[in-house]
Amino acid sequence: MPRMPKRVKYRKEMRRVRDRKATKANYVAFGEFGLQALSGCWLTARQIEAGRIAAQHYLKRQGRVYIRVFPDKPISKKPLETRMGTGKAEVDYWAARVRPGTMLFEIAGVPEDVARQTMVRVAMKMPIRCRFVGRRLEV
Amino acid sequence: MQTSHTLKARKRERIGSRYAARERAAGRLPAVIYGHGVDPLHISLDAKEALRYFHDGERVFALAVDGGKGDETVLLKELQFDYLGTNVVHADLMRVDLNEEIEASVHINFVGEAPGLKSAGAIMTHPYTALTIKCTVAALPDHIDVDVSKLNVGDSLHARDITLPAGIVLAMDEDTVIAAISMVKEASETGEAAEGAVSSEPEVITEKKQEDKGQ
Repeated sequence: MPRMPKRVKYRKEMRRVRDRKATKANYVAFGEFGLQALSGCWLTARQIEAGRIAAQHYLKRQGRVYIRVFPDKPISKKPLETRMGTGKAEVDYWAARVRPGTMLFEIAGVPEDVARQTMVRVAMKMPIRCRFVGRRLEV
Repeated sequence: MQTSHTLKARKRERIGSRYAARERAAGRLPAVIYGHGVDPLHISLDAKEALRYFHDGERVFALAVDGGKGDETVLLKELQFDYLGTNVVHADLMRVDLNEEIEASVHINFVGEAPGLKSAGAIMTHPYTALTIKCTVAALPDHIDVDVSKLNVGDSLHARDITLPAGIVLAMDEDTVIAAISMVKEASETGEAAEGAVSSEPEVITEKKQEDKGQ
C-alpha cells in the first residue's frame, strides 16, 4: 500500500519551486550503498512502493532496505473535461520532493554486486535518472 | 600510526566561490588553514594528490606553503562536498603539534567473521562508521580494527567493548552501540505496513481545531 502521512496541517499545498539542488540527505547515511537521484522530480507514493517491492523481491530475505524519501506533499488534480476555476481540485496523489542529489534508497548487509543489481531494478521503477553510490569519504 | 606526507600548497590571493571554482577547474583543491591563534590562510592543494591521501585514511600532513616559513603540521578537520555528496570541494586543515592532544574521529574497520551472520536473515547494523577518540597527533591511527568474530544473533558490541591501542582514550558515550546483529523483519512483497498508510486520507490538524472553536 502506498505511503502517505498520518496527519497533516493543511489538506492541500502550493506547488512551489522544485529545481534546486539537494543540500541535505544527499549521502549514504544508514546503509552501505545507495541510489541517488540525478535530477529532480515529484516521486509519487506508488513509484516509491514499486521501488521497495522491486528491492525486496530481488533481495529475498537478505540485507535491509532503507527508504530515504517520504511522500508528504499532496498533489491535487482536476478531473478530465472540467472547466477551469471553482477552486483548487481534490488531492489526487502524494509525492516526495526529490532534488538532484537526493538519496532515494539505501541497502545494508549485502555485498556490493548484490546491492548494485538490486539498485538497477529499483532504478527502473524511478521516473528519473539515478546512480549507484557507496559511502562517501568521512573525516 | 599516521605517515606524515608533505602536501605542497599555494596561497590563494583572491577568495570567493568564483575564484574557488577556477581553482577546481585547474585541478586544485581550495583549502583553509587555521588554529594556534594565527590568522587563517586560504590555500589550494593539488587535488589529485590530496584526495589520494584522504582516501587512504591519512589525516596528519606536513604542509609546505609557497613562500612560507617552513613546513607546518596540519590535521584534516573537515571536508565539504558538492550537491551530489561525493566530490570534495573544500578542505579545512588545522594547525597542530605532534605532541598536542586532540579529539578526532577515526574510521572503524570491522575484522573477523561474525558467527551470527551465517544464519539466514541475519544482518549486522553499524550506525557508526567512526569512533571519536582522544590522543596525541603523533598517535592518531588511520583506522581502528574492531573484532566482530564473537557476535551472535541478538548480540551488540558497545563502544566500551573495543580495545583501543595504548595512548588512545574513547571520547564518546561508552554505551554507544557500534555493531549489532539482528534478524531482518519479514516483509510481505505486496503490503509491508507502510507507517502512515492506515486510512485513505490523513487527519487534518487545523480542521479539528476549527471544529473545537465552533463548539
